Amino acid sequence: MSNLYNESDQQPPRSGLLLLQTLILGLFCLFAVRLWYLQIHHGDEFALKAKDNQLRQESIFSPRGLIRDRNGDLLAINEPAYALGLIREDCPDIEKALHQVAQWTDEDYGELDALYKKNRKRVKPFEPLILVPDLTFDQLAVIETNKLRWPGLEIQFRPRRLYLYGTLMAHVLGYVAEANEKELSKNPDLALGDVVGKQGIEFMLEDRMRGVKGLTQYEVDVTGRRLQERILKHPRAGHEISLSLDLGLQRLAMDWLDEEAGGVAVMDADTGQLLALATAPSYDSNDFSSGLTSKQWARLRDNPLHPMQNRVIQSVYPPGSVFKHVIAGAGLSYDMIDPKETVTCTGEMRLGRRIFRCWRRGGHGKVDLERALVESCDVYFYKLGKKLTVDRMSNFAQAVGFGEKTGIRLPHEKAGNIPTREWKRRRFNEGWQGGDSLNMAIGQGFTLVTPLQVVRFFASLINGGKLLKPLLLKDEKTVVQREIPLTPDQLALLRDALIETVDNNRGTARRLRTKGVIVGGKTGTAQVVRLTDELKGLKDDEIPYRFRDHAWMAATAEKDGRRYAIAVLIEHGLHGGSGAGPIIKACIDYLFSGTVTLKPEARKAKARAVRALSLKKKEKRRAN
Amino acid sequence: MPIDRRLLLYINWPLLGMAVILFLVGVLNLYSASGFRLEGGMNLAPYYHKQLLWGVPGLLGMLVFMFFDYRHLRTMAWPLFWTTVILLIAVFFMGKTIYGARRWLDLGFMNFQPSELAKIAILVVGARILSKEREPLGFIRLGYVLGVGMILAGLIIKQPDLGSGLSILLILGGMILFRGVTPKVFKTALVAIPALLPMSWFFLHDYQKQRIMTFLDPTTDPLGAGYHIIQSEIAIGSGGFWGKGFLQGTQSQLRFLPERHTDFAVAVLGEEWGFFGTLLLLALFCLFLYQMVLIAKDARGLFGSYLAAGVFFYFFWQILINTGMVLGLMPVVGIPLPFISYGGSATLVNFCLVGLVLNVSMRRFLFKQN
Repeated sequence: MSNLYNESDQQPPRSGLLLLQTLILGLFCLFAVRLWYLQIHHGDEFALKAKDNQLRQESIFSPRGLIRDRNGDLLAINEPAYALGLIREDCPDIEKALHQVAQWTDEDYGELDALYKKNRKRVKPFEPLILVPDLTFDQLAVIETNKLRWPGLEIQFRPRRLYLYGTLMAHVLGYVAEANEKELSKNPDLALGDVVGKQGIEFMLEDRMRGVKGLTQYEVDVTGRRLQERILKHPRAGHEISLSLDLGLQRLAMDWLDEEAGGVAVMDADTGQLLALATAPSYDSNDFSSGLTSKQWARLRDNPLHPMQNRVIQSVYPPGSVFKHVIAGAGLSYDMIDPKETVTCTGEMRLGRRIFRCWRRGGHGKVDLERALVESCDVYFYKLGKKLTVDRMSNFAQAVGFGEKTGIRLPHEKAGNIPTREWKRRRFNEGWQGGDSLNMAIGQGFTLVTPLQVVRFFASLINGGKLLKPLLLKDEKTVVQREIPLTPDQLALLRDALIETVDNNRGTARRLRTKGVIVGGKTGTAQVVRLTDELKGLKDDEIPYRFRDHAWMAATAEKDGRRYAIAVLIEHGLHGGSGAGPIIKACIDYLFSGTVTLKPEARKAKARAVRALSLKKKEKRRAN
Repeated sequence: MPIDRRLLLYINWPLLGMAVILFLVGVLNLYSASGFRLEGGMNLAPYYHKQLLWGVPGLLGMLVFMFFDYRHLRTMAWPLFWTTVILLIAVFFMGKTIYGARRWLDLGFMNFQPSELAKIAILVVGARILSKEREPLGFIRLGYVLGVGMILAGLIIKQPDLGSGLSILLILGGMILFRGVTPKVFKTALVAIPALLPMSWFFLHDYQKQRIMTFLDPTTDPLGAGYHIIQSEIAIGSGGFWGKGFLQGTQSQLRFLPERHTDFAVAVLGEEWGFFGTLLLLALFCLFLYQMVLIAKDARGLFGSYLAAGVFFYFFWQILINTGMVLGLMPVVGIPLPFISYGGSATLVNFCLVGLVLNVSMRRFLFKQN
């Protein structure tokens, strides 16, 4: 411890002490003078500034980018809308003001109060808290004339999204709504009350479409009245978007779907652009723009037909006979079919103790590959499936894009399912059976596909074997995702079979014949449930809706170097040809001659009646 | 250990009293800045509460720093220095990244910032080195002392934490001036520093350059830092001579004033207490600092003197920079005002350092009689 004491009594440097004292004095003098300057010399000016003129800043809303169809027709625009906001700090009595707002707008005071309490901490001090997002013109007029007596209440202009064809392509365009907590915290540029894309293209291309908000600075007097305004930053509108969809074709498809539940996809086979992506039932995108009421939301959510579901990309179905082209492709690709070789169809095939039937009771007799496809002979494909086994079938199905997402620019796409031995073991803890292969060969069983995957595959049959990424934007570059493993000859064979299905009088797609257009087609019927004995004897009309088969149809159409693929699915539509065929025919007519064939009223009425019946039953079940 | 009664006798009570008064003024001011009368907005109410609670560890820390003999620090100076260096290096490998900077060590129960320790280390090591200097510093000795400081400052600036790094150098620089330099060094510095200053421009981050530009012309950035300066001046200026009264400031109460609980706390005070009140606070700070000068003067042994001088500069720079910023005399940099701005660990360190100076004052006569 001695070293603690051995310091000399030396004094600290005198100059240093002097320096410290000088610094203190300097500090005091400097700040005293500055304070005097600010508070005494200019005090009155600042007091005036503080009292009368306050600088405030406010965002200027940027309009979202417009959306057009491929021909330039407007689909989504922005319309002026007026919101009623409350600026807390300007409002002498918030409770009274809320009561007044309730009286003006017929809103419930309790709800306004709850809204205010919920959001008051989330808006910046002098930004308006939006109480009523969407004023009617009558309300606007009343409020405008009374506004001066209510400091703190302010009418705010903000563009509102308007979809010119609300229900027509709601599933593609999606909708916009106020940003939620999560979106707000993720993006610092967003403020409470800002509108963002929530679904569809609006969601996927949000960054491109939103634009950049501007900023204005203004002075206000004590009552909050604006005095001088200066724009600090001009808003920048969002980018315009051109979809690949054709408004006319989309409208046509939606008209045909009408009250059905189902989907239509039309793809340009050379570019992958979708000209129509229709799904029904639909909802109105506009309902969301000004905020959905909880009642509206409940109605959408609880609708047994799920109108929010995009049936082209989010619903999966057994493909039925449209899958026969995939199986035929697998046979050719693995070199396990001689197209000329015939198989005799007696109407059924035995496997162990089980009997697998052809859809035609009496059998097709001798059929080669083309006839099997044209007449959709099940027995031919049972035999082919048995020979191929599940491994080759699923390998090929995956190679042509089934069981995977297509990568379309829409949220929540489903991949469907292509079963394998391993999959079945995992899923059911059961080995693959011979019967499973037979079912798979005719598109039944565990295979699940989306209509979008089907249309992509059929496009590849006529474009030289290119599996294309489905595109929704007009300016997007074509993406070849894969070449399908078939030689040009093999492709030609499948294509010819498609065309023959339309041209041949025994073909299942003969109703698609169109003058001057090379049309190919394949129908499909996808069993929803195995019919129990009690249902088996019934006529089509007598089968309850929910047990009816789904109707499929895939088609190709070519003329003058333009090539399209079309896929249609009607839920519980019974038969592909009659249920889906007319829609495809109407699409082809529109594509090549511009004629618009609308759905006959009689068919619409029938569909409506069926729907009403089934809904009633479903609701009854739900009630029980 | 029996406590010598003389220890208590020689405590510099004015300094202790002023620290506590400043702290309470800070809490009161925070209470006002919390704007409890108006609903909504950023809720600052918990801040004065928290600040008040931080007073407890603060006072305890002060006691701890008072009652061991500060002379032990002399022997511990270098171990303390190297420990700090090791911790600062450890930050690079094990540090927690918050807001993009690695500054914290996770101790489990709290996050610890070695750069805070470095501020104490530089005081102690600086006091040790400089108290041995018998002559004003020439170039070589100056280089040595600055070199020691640069080790700490360099490591901290690298984190990156320019503010803390520079404050290390400022504290050490102050202590060097307290010791004094040879006229030759002084003259050279007088020429070299203004010459080198523009060069440092190239080492600044863009946002730092922006702040300086904004200071020179606040209207270039009326939304960011410029807005702060403009609003701060309006708040203070509108206070006039007597101020608008406690809780009556329209600018701060109405939330025109940003950061009114931390860096711009004085603006709230300026608005509500006016020229009179603000000057009073300033006088309080000056007396607070003056007590340290007295302690430095009367300390037994140079080590204590330098320690007191170091703490003096620790507070002096913060007061100068923060108040200068709030009064629009300096660019906006995030430096708090001791005891007045909100901040838990800052309160703790402030009290501890006051304790350290009190420690020096308590022992000023003890050993003379031995």
